[in-house]
Amino acid sequence: MASVSGNMKGFYRQRKANKSSSKSSKKSTSHAPDVTLSSSPKDDVNEHEEMLRQFDMDMAYGPCIGMTRLARWERAHKLGLNPPAEIEKLVKGGKVQADCLWDGRI
Amino acid sequence: MEIDSEKSLCRALCAYNSMDEVFEIQKEMYRGQQYSHLYFARLHLMRTLLYSLVSQWKPHLPVCTVLGLEEGKECIIVGTLFKHMKLKPCILDEYSKERSKTPLVKPHNFMHPDDHLILEDESGRVKLSGDLISPSVYITGIVVAIHGKETGAGDFLVLDVLEAGLPPQIELPLKSREDKYVVFVSGLSVGSSNCNPLQFQLFIDHITGHLGDEKEQILASQIAHVVIAGNSVEFHREVLNGQNLAAKDLSRLSEPIKELDILLNQIAVGLPLDIMPGPRDPANYSLPQQPLHRCLFPGSSAYNTFRSCTNPHCFELDNIRFLGTSGQNIDDLDKYSDAKDKLEFMERTLRWRHLAPTAPNTLGCYPFTDRDPFFLESCPHVYFVGNQDKYETRVIKGSEGQLVRLICVPKFNETGVAVMLNLRDLECHALSFGTQFSS
Repeated sequence: MASVSGNMKGFYRQRKANKSSSKSSKKSTSHAPDVTLSSSPKDDVNEHEEMLRQFDMDMAYGPCIGMTRLARWERAHKLGLNPPAEIEKLVKGGKVQADCLWDGRI
Repeated sequence: MEIDSEKSLCRALCAYNSMDEVFEIQKEMYRGQQYSHLYFARLHLMRTLLYSLVSQWKPHLPVCTVLGLEEGKECIIVGTLFKHMKLKPCILDEYSKERSKTPLVKPHNFMHPDDHLILEDESGRVKLSGDLISPSVYITGIVVAIHGKETGAGDFLVLDVLEAGLPPQIELPLKSREDKYVVFVSGLSVGSSNCNPLQFQLFIDHITGHLGDEKEQILASQIAHVVIAGNSVEFHREVLNGQNLAAKDLSRLSEPIKELDILLNQIAVGLPLDIMPGPRDPANYSLPQQPLHRCLFPGSSAYNTFRSCTNPHCFELDNIRFLGTSGQNIDDLDKYSDAKDKLEFMERTLRWRHLAPTAPNTLGCYPFTDRDPFFLESCPHVYFVGNQDKYETRVIKGSEGQLVRLICVPKFNETGVAVMLNLRDLECHALSFGTQFSS
């Protein structure tokens, strides 16, 4: 019994820890370039992330919470809003975060 | 009994084409999305349409967004209407300190003389003023184009309103064919205390041709399709109290649906039958309601004439397009706006080009992200709404020659009335059944 409850607790804790760690990592990535500007590959990913965040925040393509970036791009495409093609390439490339900027934070 | 007569009668047949895919929820996944997506999709769809109409309506006027309004300058804005209603029930009222301040709700709906309209788009919202736009007619959730100007007080003075109008209609197939009938019935409420089994049995016997003389049987043989528009069963809800049910209660709960299956079986043997879920049926609550599961009807579902459909339901019979609901959309309009009869509400939904404008505001609705299934792309020839108080019907005409037959289908268990529609000329008449004999 104890082990089960321990597992359950661990399960919840793990999720929380995951979220907070992703949060802190995001924070660190957003702060890191200001402090240490370098042309490392990690920085490149951040540039992409920056572009995707701009896409998330563009109200012309509709609200972003509750759908993946790809789904949102596809909706915009279907509605004839001409979303940027680079975003599709980036999201389909799979190396970036699939969910929007606010996912799991609100 | 018909076998005794010399000539045998043949049941009329129709080509049936279901168009329910748009109302089916299959690949959708709930990811915590809110209703903003649905409003975004609706605004975008409707605005594209209205912009194309505005260029013919008032080509000399500039089109603005709410944020781009300038005081005193006449322009056209397109946005979603929101009706601010004083009496609209709000979940937060329970917690408010000034609880007794709001006036009491009238018995029939939530209208109040102080209600006013607000127009919203992505950029902002503006209060509408002027006598031209009456808050009692309009409702939250519809998209309109408004000609007007901003006043000093910050309101938008309405000078003219443009609604999307009836959608384009496919051409009605040529007339001069034989009579074929479609029967609509709703609110059977099998299992309720005031349900009269004899009345429904009479109905079944009549449409399957087991009643009357040869003349009546000829009429019955011309019925090609039956549509049951919601509220077919009534459960003993007092049994459901959140506890595990005893075996006795379980059987009590499933009794009405078993009875319904036996009754529907008799129809399905003879003629095609569509059954739509309604607000009191064992289906999901929010629109679009998904088909009642076939397991509920072990007897009837064995026949390929038996179809369990979505609500709203759209189909074609011999290329005549039908669209209908079990009544939730019209009942909700009745709570939050005024009209002289139910048919006027139905007409409005067609002119606004939206089947259920109050979803998701006051009507339960699935949070779609990339589409609005209630947006009307094409105009039906027959538009029916189930579970209404009385039978009413009318034909409305659109500006491009569209003709639509509107039908309010009454509750069968209260009125004993079913509706018959002739496919030849879209004429309609009521079919009344009575089992009371005056002595």
